[in-house]
Amino acid sequence: MNATVLLEGLVRRFGKTTAVDGIDLELSHGELFGLVGPDGAGKTTTVRMLAGLIAPDGGRVRVLGEDPLTSASVRDVLGLMPQEYSLYLDLSIRENLQFFGRLYGLGRAEWARRVERLMRITRLEPFMDRRAGALSGGMYKKLALSCALLHEPKVLLLDEPTNGVDPVSRRELWDLIHEFVQGGMTVLVCTPYMDEAERCHRVGLLHRGRLIATGEPAALIRDIEHETYTVHAGAGAELFDEVFAFEDVLAASPAGSELRIVVRGGRASEVQRRLDALGGRLEACEPTFEDLFLVRIKDAEGMAA
Amino acid sequence: MRRALNALIQKELRQTVRDRRMMVLLIAVPTIQIIVFGFAVDLEVDRVPTVVVDQDRSVESRRHVRRLFADGTLHLRYQTQDTQEAERLLISGQANLALIFPSGFQRDQLCGRPTQVQAVVDGSDPNRGRSAGAAVGGYFGQVGPMLRIAPPSGRVSVEPKLSFNPGLDTAKFMLPGIIGVLLLLITTIVAAMGLARERQTGTLEQLMVTPMAPTTVILGKILPFAGFGFLDLSLALTAAVVIFDMPTRGSLIAVYATAGIYLVATLSTGLFISTISRTQQQAFLGGFLFLLPAVLLSGMLTPVRAMPAWLELATWLNPVRHFIELLRANLLADAGFLERWPNLLALSLYGLFMTVLSISRYRKTLE
Repeated sequence: MNATVLLEGLVRRFGKTTAVDGIDLELSHGELFGLVGPDGAGKTTTVRMLAGLIAPDGGRVRVLGEDPLTSASVRDVLGLMPQEYSLYLDLSIRENLQFFGRLYGLGRAEWARRVERLMRITRLEPFMDRRAGALSGGMYKKLALSCALLHEPKVLLLDEPTNGVDPVSRRELWDLIHEFVQGGMTVLVCTPYMDEAERCHRVGLLHRGRLIATGEPAALIRDIEHETYTVHAGAGAELFDEVFAFEDVLAASPAGSELRIVVRGGRASEVQRRLDALGGRLEACEPTFEDLFLVRIKDAEGMAA
Repeated sequence: MRRALNALIQKELRQTVRDRRMMVLLIAVPTIQIIVFGFAVDLEVDRVPTVVVDQDRSVESRRHVRRLFADGTLHLRYQTQDTQEAERLLISGQANLALIFPSGFQRDQLCGRPTQVQAVVDGSDPNRGRSAGAAVGGYFGQVGPMLRIAPPSGRVSVEPKLSFNPGLDTAKFMLPGIIGVLLLLITTIVAAMGLARERQTGTLEQLMVTPMAPTTVILGKILPFAGFGFLDLSLALTAAVVIFDMPTRGSLIAVYATAGIYLVATLSTGLFISTISRTQQQAFLGGFLFLLPAVLLSGMLTPVRAMPAWLELATWLNPVRHFIELLRANLLADAGFLERWPNLLALSLYGLFMTVLSISRYRKTLE
């Protein structure tokens, strides 16, 4: 059996901009893969090509060995939860679920069984007759996920499923995703949130239409060849402006009253020496996923330049 | 396919019934328009306010007055003995026609001498004046050669046409055209907005990832609105028959079958427009770009035969022309499918072509 999801040299342009610039990726059965990147990195375009909604300009997409653009049968086992609203806001929760259930040809009993389960997990049961347009952001997302899960797809594509969702609903959404992954579903989830990336089996960092790193989150962090530090400022915040300009500081982000920096591997003493003059002090800390992301973007831009 | 199609139709009906503006557009607007347009074309030739100056006051003159006003084209508003008073009424616009029976009218007529009735017509509205003059001329033309009409004098003019049909036939001739245009306006706009709305609200994306065939989706848009089209057709036909006394000489089954083909043609045109539009606004505008020439070149207002040859040829591509001709032939002259097969064939081919075109465009809508 080949890869459940296969992307080969995938390219998609909109006018002069290249939204997706040569992505190669393979997902295996039952894998939870996180596509992580800032807005405009090409996540949505990639997902839309995976779902067969738009055609690639180059390369190819295969889901379970078939092209989702032309094969209707692969859409039987494919689920998509788009980032934007995609349900009928003037229909109730029940009517939306009924509609999509029938489009996938679910029998009445089977539909009732699945809806009962999904509504129980998402706690939407009491609101079944409420219009989708009258739901809160979190409730709407749970409904959208339920609609995408209703036909129990083998491959599920989630485009920023927790965007604009409160923390409680967010955890519920992830619990639901994990439950189906354990049942053998292959899931690709796009997210701009680094903490969500760490919930995935594997992640791909997407930057300007290219995958700049792929692997297990823990391994990717472990393999950072640079060092992370917290800068304690003696004199005050104006010191930070100078630190940004240090050649060996690859990334810097404010964290409370302190500054978190990534220092080129082996250059910490050099940075400390320059900080001494300014009255600052370095303290080693554990690298996080965000550090990883900032470093890899820096690397990618360094190579491009 | 059946289950998915049923689901689509049910969803479409639910959404439409819940959308009050849609319901007004689909039901109230066509009913009101057929009535308003019907009266508009009717009023041109009906109930011309008339002043009668009967200086003879005889049995004969009264008999003619009674019969003149019987068909409703003229409306007896004033009666007077005084020609000055009649002139005043004409000038002030309270009357558009003055009929003057001179004293001695009955005597001359009974003696077989030539006699005169003077008709003074306000020609400032040519249409109305012509109708009034024709009504008078037509009447006295039938009565016989012993009466003749005074020649037009002064600033008013009369042009009697003995061959003129009593006015109501114009309305009857116009009504099928109005029905055709009404159905066109509503269905094209509704369909053009249909897919564009799904696209704009994001639901199209969700529809496209389902295994539904494009044919199912397009049919799921055409069928429910064809249903509303039939409802509109029924409302319009009822209004036309009840209010304007439009004849239905042909078979109603043929009318509905023809309308079915026509609705597929207009709805698929609307859907095609929405597959090439990005927003509802674009779809709306695109709809109008199609509607205007479709109406102007339909033969509803100006006869197709009066157009230059190349333009007349182009009207073969116009579904509205075929439907109006089929409807007129059926309702007014009891000509059904067979006599009008070229129209029917052209209409069917157009509908088929547009449906196939929208089906093939459907999956490219998101590009």
